[in-house]
Amino acid sequence: MHIPDAFMPIWQGAIYWVIALVFVLLALRWAKNELTEEKIPVVAVLAAAVFALMSFNLPVSMGTSGHLLGGALVAIVLGSPFAAVFILTLVLIIQGVMFGDGGITTMGANIINMGVIGGFVGYYSFHGLLRLTKNISFSAGPAAWLACFIPAEVCAVELYLAGTFPLKEGLIAMGVYHALIGIIEAVITVLVIHLILRVRPDLIDEKVKRRVGIGG
Amino acid sequence: MDKKNMRFLVAGVLIAMAIAIVAVFLASSDPDGLDSTALIASGQKTLTAPATGEDISVGAPGHFVYESPMQDYTLGKDWGPAGGIIAMVTGTFLAVAAGFGLAWVLRKRKAAKEQVS
Repeated sequence: MHIPDAFMPIWQGAIYWVIALVFVLLALRWAKNELTEEKIPVVAVLAAAVFALMSFNLPVSMGTSGHLLGGALVAIVLGSPFAAVFILTLVLIIQGVMFGDGGITTMGANIINMGVIGGFVGYYSFHGLLRLTKNISFSAGPAAWLACFIPAEVCAVELYLAGTFPLKEGLIAMGVYHALIGIIEAVITVLVIHLILRVRPDLIDEKVKRRVGIGG
Repeated sequence: MDKKNMRFLVAGVLIAMAIAIVAVFLASSDPDGLDSTALIASGQKTLTAPATGEDISVGAPGHFVYESPMQDYTLGKDWGPAGGIIAMVTGTFLAVAAGFGLAWVLRKRKAAKEQVS
Protein backbone atom coordinates (compact mmCIF):
# COMPACT_ATOMS: atom_id res chain seq x y z
CA MET A 1 0.00 0.00 0.00
CA HIS A 2 3.07 2.24 -0.36
CA ILE A 3 2.07 5.13 -2.65
CA PRO A 4 4.96 5.94 -5.03
CA ASP A 5 5.89 9.53 -5.96
CA ALA A 6 4.47 9.03 -9.45
CA PHE A 7 0.90 8.57 -8.17
CA MET A 8 0.41 11.98 -6.58
CA PRO A 9 0.99 15.67 -7.44
CA ILE A 10 3.69 17.23 -5.24
CA TRP A 11 1.33 19.81 -3.71
CA GLN A 12 -1.09 17.14 -2.51
CA GLY A 13 1.78 15.14 -1.05
CA ALA A 14 2.84 18.27 0.83
CA ILE A 15 -0.59 18.60 2.45
CA TYR A 16 -0.45 15.00 3.71
CA TRP A 17 3.10 15.60 4.94
CA VAL A 18 1.94 18.54 7.09
CA ILE A 19 -0.86 16.44 8.64
CA ALA A 20 1.52 13.50 9.12
CA LEU A 21 4.11 15.70 10.86
CA VAL A 22 1.57 16.69 13.51
CA PHE A 23 1.09 13.00 14.36
CA VAL A 24 4.83 12.33 14.19
CA LEU A 25 5.43 15.10 16.74
CA LEU A 26 2.70 13.63 18.97
CA ALA A 27 4.38 10.23 18.58
CA LEU A 28 7.72 11.70 19.67
CA ARG A 29 5.95 13.20 22.68
CA TRP A 30 4.43 9.79 23.43
CA ALA A 31 7.93 8.30 23.42
CA LYS A 32 9.21 10.98 25.81
CA ASN A 33 6.30 10.52 28.23
CA GLU A 34 5.52 6.81 28.01
CA LEU A 35 8.47 4.89 26.58
CA THR A 36 10.31 3.43 29.54
CA GLU A 37 13.74 1.86 29.26
CA GLU A 38 12.30 -1.68 29.54
CA LYS A 39 10.26 -1.11 26.38
CA ILE A 40 13.22 -0.10 24.18
CA PRO A 41 14.05 -3.68 23.06
CA VAL A 42 10.38 -4.19 22.12
CA VAL A 43 10.47 -1.04 19.96
CA ALA A 44 13.68 -2.17 18.24
CA VAL A 45 12.42 -5.73 17.64
CA LEU A 46 9.02 -4.55 16.36
CA ALA A 47 10.72 -2.09 13.98
CA ALA A 48 12.86 -4.92 12.59
CA ALA A 49 9.94 -7.36 12.41
CA VAL A 50 7.63 -4.85 10.69
CA PHE A 51 10.37 -4.04 8.15
CA ALA A 52 11.06 -7.73 7.42
CA LEU A 53 7.40 -8.79 7.27
CA MET A 54 6.47 -5.82 5.07
CA SER A 55 8.81 -7.14 2.38
CA PHE A 56 7.38 -10.66 2.58
CA ASN A 57 4.62 -10.53 -0.01
CA LEU A 58 2.22 -13.47 0.11
CA PRO A 59 -0.10 -14.31 -2.81
CA VAL A 60 -3.78 -13.55 -2.19
CA SER A 61 -5.10 -14.91 -5.56
CA MET A 62 -6.33 -12.81 -8.51
CA GLY A 63 -2.71 -12.16 -9.54
CA THR A 64 -2.15 -10.04 -6.47
CA SER A 65 -0.04 -10.23 -3.34
CA GLY A 66 0.09 -8.45 -0.03
CA HIS A 67 2.01 -8.17 3.19
CA LEU A 68 1.67 -7.15 6.82
CA LEU A 69 1.39 -3.42 7.54
CA GLY A 70 1.87 -3.80 11.28
CA GLY A 71 0.00 -0.76 12.64
CA ALA A 72 -2.43 -2.77 14.75
CA LEU A 73 0.28 -5.13 16.01
CA VAL A 74 2.55 -2.33 17.23
CA ALA A 75 -0.28 -0.29 18.79
CA ILE A 76 -1.66 -3.33 20.66
CA VAL A 77 1.68 -4.60 21.98
CA LEU A 78 3.00 -1.19 23.06
CA GLY A 79 -0.39 0.07 24.24
CA SER A 80 -0.75 3.24 22.17
CA PRO A 81 -1.69 4.20 18.60
CA PHE A 82 1.21 6.65 18.74
CA ALA A 83 3.59 3.70 19.08
CA ALA A 84 2.38 2.63 15.64
CA VAL A 85 2.99 6.12 14.25
CA PHE A 86 6.47 6.10 15.82
CA ILE A 87 7.59 2.72 14.44
CA LEU A 88 5.78 2.86 11.08
CA THR A 89 7.28 6.30 10.38
CA LEU A 90 10.81 4.96 10.98
CA VAL A 91 10.18 1.93 8.78
CA LEU A 92 8.52 3.97 6.00
CA ILE A 93 11.46 6.43 5.95
CA ILE A 94 13.92 3.53 5.56
CA GLN A 95 11.77 1.87 2.88
CA GLY A 96 11.25 5.07 0.91
CA VAL A 97 14.76 6.54 1.13
CA MET A 98 16.83 3.35 0.84
CA PHE A 99 14.66 1.05 -1.27
CA GLY A 100 12.26 3.25 -3.25
CA ASP A 101 9.30 1.43 -1.64
CA GLY A 102 6.85 4.30 -1.29
CA GLY A 103 7.72 7.79 -2.47
CA ILE A 104 9.35 10.77 -0.77
CA THR A 105 6.63 13.34 -1.51
CA THR A 106 3.98 10.69 -0.77
CA MET A 107 5.60 9.54 2.47
CA GLY A 108 3.28 11.79 4.49
CA ALA A 109 0.25 10.07 2.98
CA ASN A 110 1.81 6.66 3.63
CA ILE A 111 2.52 7.61 7.27
CA ILE A 112 -1.11 8.74 7.65
CA ASN A 113 -2.55 5.59 6.04
CA MET A 114 -0.44 2.86 7.58
CA GLY A 115 0.84 4.51 10.77
CA VAL A 116 -1.90 6.89 11.90
CA ILE A 117 -5.07 5.25 10.54
CA GLY A 118 -3.68 1.72 10.89
CA GLY A 119 -2.55 2.44 14.46
CA PHE A 120 -5.70 4.20 15.65
CA VAL A 121 -8.15 1.81 13.97
CA GLY A 122 -6.15 -1.19 15.20
CA TYR A 123 -5.80 0.07 18.77
CA TYR A 124 -9.36 1.25 19.40
CA SER A 125 -11.15 -1.58 17.62
CA PHE A 126 -8.95 -4.05 19.54
CA HIS A 127 -9.85 -2.55 22.91
CA GLY A 128 -13.52 -2.24 21.98
CA LEU A 129 -13.66 -5.90 21.00
CA LEU A 130 -11.56 -7.00 23.97
CA ARG A 131 -14.06 -5.42 26.35
CA LEU A 132 -16.81 -7.51 24.74
CA THR A 133 -15.04 -10.80 24.05
CA LYS A 134 -12.31 -10.93 26.72
CA ASN A 135 -10.37 -12.90 24.11
CA ILE A 136 -7.13 -11.58 22.65
CA SER A 137 -7.27 -13.54 19.36
CA PHE A 138 -10.92 -12.69 18.61
CA SER A 139 -10.15 -9.03 19.26
CA ALA A 140 -6.72 -8.64 17.66
CA GLY A 141 -7.65 -10.55 14.48
CA PRO A 142 -10.64 -8.40 13.42
CA ALA A 143 -8.86 -5.23 14.63
CA ALA A 144 -5.85 -6.02 12.45
CA TRP A 145 -8.13 -6.78 9.49
CA LEU A 146 -9.81 -3.38 9.89
CA ALA A 147 -6.41 -1.71 10.28
CA CYS A 148 -5.55 -3.03 6.80
CA PHE A 149 -8.92 -2.57 5.08
CA ILE A 150 -9.76 0.98 6.20
CA PRO A 151 -6.36 2.51 5.27
CA ALA A 152 -6.69 0.82 1.85
CA GLU A 153 -10.04 2.51 1.21
CA VAL A 154 -8.68 5.85 2.43
CA CYS A 155 -5.73 5.33 0.08
CA ALA A 156 -8.18 4.73 -2.80
CA VAL A 157 -9.87 8.08 -2.04
CA GLU A 158 -6.51 9.88 -1.81
CA LEU A 159 -5.52 8.51 -5.21
CA TYR A 160 -8.89 9.48 -6.64
CA LEU A 161 -8.23 13.04 -5.42
CA ALA A 162 -4.74 12.78 -6.96
CA GLY A 163 -6.37 11.99 -10.30
CA THR A 164 -4.69 8.57 -10.42
CA PHE A 165 -7.53 6.11 -9.70
CA PRO A 166 -11.18 6.27 -10.77
CA LEU A 167 -13.25 6.45 -7.57
CA LYS A 168 -15.57 3.45 -7.91
CA GLU A 169 -13.09 1.02 -9.47
CA GLY A 170 -10.40 2.17 -7.04
CA LEU A 171 -12.59 1.61 -3.97
CA ILE A 172 -13.73 -1.80 -5.23
CA ALA A 173 -10.27 -3.08 -6.20
CA MET A 174 -8.46 -1.71 -3.14
CA GLY A 175 -11.30 -3.03 -0.97
CA VAL A 176 -11.37 -6.54 -2.46
CA TYR A 177 -7.58 -7.00 -2.44
CA HIS A 178 -7.11 -5.62 1.06
CA ALA A 179 -10.03 -7.60 2.42
CA LEU A 180 -7.86 -10.62 1.52
CA ILE A 181 -4.55 -9.02 2.55
CA GLY A 182 -6.27 -8.18 5.85
CA ILE A 183 -6.45 -11.90 6.60
CA ILE A 184 -2.62 -12.01 6.44
CA GLU A 185 -2.58 -8.96 8.73
CA ALA A 186 -4.95 -10.67 11.18
CA VAL A 187 -3.13 -14.02 11.29
CA ILE A 188 0.37 -12.54 11.72
CA THR A 189 -0.83 -10.00 14.31
CA VAL A 190 -2.47 -12.71 16.44
CA LEU A 191 0.54 -15.03 16.08
CA VAL A 192 3.10 -12.40 17.10
CA ILE A 193 1.04 -11.25 20.10
CA HIS A 194 0.76 -14.85 21.33
CA LEU A 195 4.47 -15.42 20.71
CA ILE A 196 5.38 -12.42 22.87
CA LEU A 197 2.78 -13.44 25.50
CA ARG A 198 4.44 -16.84 25.69
CA VAL A 199 8.09 -15.78 25.93
CA ARG A 200 7.83 -12.39 27.65
CA PRO A 201 4.28 -11.63 28.87
CA ASP A 202 5.66 -8.71 30.88
CA LEU A 203 6.39 -6.87 27.61
CA ILE A 204 2.72 -6.77 26.53
CA ASP A 205 0.71 -3.64 27.40
CA GLU A 206 -0.65 -3.92 30.98
CA LYS A 207 -4.16 -2.78 29.93
CA VAL A 208 -4.51 -5.86 27.72
CA LYS A 209 -3.53 -8.23 30.49
CA ARG A 210 -5.87 -6.56 33.00
CA ARG A 211 -8.81 -6.90 30.59
CA VAL A 212 -8.30 -10.63 30.07
CA GLY A 213 -7.18 -11.27 33.63
CA ILE A 214 -3.62 -12.53 33.13
CA GLY A 215 -1.02 -11.70 35.75
CA GLY A 216 0.86 -8.44 36.06
CA MET B 1 19.61 -3.20 29.91
CA ASP B 2 19.30 -6.43 31.88
CA LYS B 3 20.10 -9.88 30.55
CA LYS B 4 16.48 -10.84 29.92
CA ASN B 5 15.86 -7.80 27.74
CA MET B 6 19.14 -8.30 25.90
CA ARG B 7 18.11 -11.89 25.10
CA PHE B 8 14.71 -10.72 23.81
CA LEU B 9 16.41 -8.09 21.65
CA VAL B 10 18.95 -10.49 20.13
CA ALA B 11 16.41 -13.29 19.56
CA GLY B 12 13.86 -10.88 18.08
CA VAL B 13 16.35 -9.32 15.70
CA LEU B 14 17.65 -12.74 14.60
CA ILE B 15 14.09 -13.89 13.82
CA ALA B 16 13.44 -10.68 11.85
CA MET B 17 16.73 -11.16 9.93
CA ALA B 18 15.76 -14.76 9.12
CA ILE B 19 12.33 -13.63 7.83
CA ALA B 20 13.99 -10.89 5.77
CA ILE B 21 16.42 -13.33 4.14
CA VAL B 22 13.78 -16.00 3.46
CA ALA B 23 11.61 -13.27 1.88
CA VAL B 24 14.27 -12.73 -0.82
CA PHE B 25 13.57 -16.26 -2.08
CA LEU B 26 9.95 -16.93 -1.16
CA ALA B 27 8.09 -13.61 -1.36
CA SER B 28 5.46 -13.44 -4.11
CA SER B 29 6.40 -11.31 -7.11
CA ASP B 30 2.75 -10.61 -7.96
CA PRO B 31 1.90 -6.89 -7.77
CA ASP B 32 0.56 -5.80 -4.37
CA GLY B 33 -2.97 -4.51 -3.82
CA LEU B 34 -2.10 -0.93 -4.74
CA ASP B 35 -0.15 -1.83 -7.89
CA SER B 36 -2.88 -4.28 -8.92
CA THR B 37 -5.41 -1.47 -8.64
CA ALA B 38 -3.11 0.80 -10.67
CA LEU B 39 -2.87 -1.92 -13.33
CA ILE B 40 -6.68 -2.09 -13.44
CA ALA B 41 -6.78 1.71 -13.83
CA SER B 42 -4.19 1.32 -16.63
CA GLY B 43 -6.39 -1.23 -18.42
CA GLN B 44 -3.90 -4.09 -17.98
CA LYS B 45 -5.73 -6.11 -15.38
CA THR B 46 -9.25 -7.06 -14.44
CA LEU B 47 -10.32 -7.38 -10.83
CA THR B 48 -10.06 -11.16 -10.65
CA ALA B 49 -7.57 -12.15 -13.40
CA PRO B 50 -3.77 -11.71 -13.27
CA ALA B 51 -2.32 -8.70 -15.09
CA THR B 52 -1.53 -9.00 -18.80
CA GLY B 53 1.20 -6.33 -18.71
CA GLU B 54 3.35 -4.49 -16.23
CA ASP B 55 3.15 -0.91 -17.44
CA ILE B 56 1.34 1.30 -15.00
CA SER B 57 0.24 4.23 -17.14
CA VAL B 58 -1.61 6.19 -14.47
CA GLY B 59 0.15 8.89 -12.51
CA ALA B 60 0.29 12.55 -11.68
CA PRO B 61 1.89 14.92 -14.18
CA GLY B 62 5.02 16.68 -12.94
CA HIS B 63 5.46 14.36 -9.99
CA PHE B 64 8.61 14.12 -7.91
CA VAL B 65 11.35 11.71 -9.08
CA TYR B 66 13.77 10.02 -6.70
CA GLU B 67 16.24 7.20 -7.30
CA SER B 68 16.93 5.15 -4.18
CA PRO B 69 20.30 3.42 -3.65
CA MET B 70 18.80 -0.09 -3.40
CA GLN B 71 15.71 0.16 -5.59
CA ASP B 72 13.14 -2.60 -4.96
CA TYR B 73 15.31 -4.26 -2.27
CA THR B 74 17.98 -5.33 -4.77
CA LEU B 75 21.43 -4.20 -5.87
CA GLY B 76 20.56 -4.67 -9.52
CA LYS B 77 20.54 -7.71 -11.80
CA ASP B 78 24.31 -8.37 -11.61
CA TRP B 79 24.09 -9.18 -7.92
CA GLY B 80 21.19 -11.65 -8.10
CA PRO B 81 19.84 -13.03 -4.82
CA ALA B 82 23.03 -11.98 -2.96
CA GLY B 83 22.07 -8.37 -3.64
CA GLY B 84 18.60 -9.04 -2.27
CA ILE B 85 20.04 -10.53 0.91
CA ILE B 86 22.44 -7.59 1.38
CA ALA B 87 19.57 -5.13 0.86
CA MET B 88 17.23 -6.90 3.29
CA VAL B 89 19.87 -7.38 5.98
CA THR B 90 20.86 -3.71 5.65
CA GLY B 91 17.22 -2.63 5.90
CA THR B 92 16.50 -4.81 8.93
CA PHE B 93 19.66 -3.54 10.64
CA LEU B 94 18.69 0.08 9.90
CA ALA B 95 15.22 -0.56 11.36
CA VAL B 96 16.70 -1.98 14.58
CA ALA B 97 19.26 0.81 14.85
CA ALA B 98 16.68 3.55 14.19
CA GLY B 99 14.12 2.00 16.56
CA PHE B 100 16.64 1.42 19.35
CA GLY B 101 18.50 4.70 18.87
CA LEU B 102 15.50 7.00 18.76
CA ALA B 103 13.74 5.16 21.61
CA TRP B 104 16.93 5.44 23.70
CA VAL B 105 17.30 9.17 23.06
CA LEU B 106 13.63 9.92 23.80
CA ARG B 107 13.07 7.39 26.59
CA LYS B 108 11.13 8.39 29.67
CA ARG B 109 13.61 9.18 32.36
CA LYS B 110 12.80 8.49 35.96
CA ALA B 111 11.85 11.64 37.85
CA ALA B 112 14.48 12.93 40.27
CA LYS B 113 12.40 12.22 43.36
CA GLU B 114 11.83 8.62 42.33
CA GLN B 115 15.56 8.10 42.05
CA VAL B 116 16.11 9.37 45.61
CA SER B 117 13.63 7.00 47.20
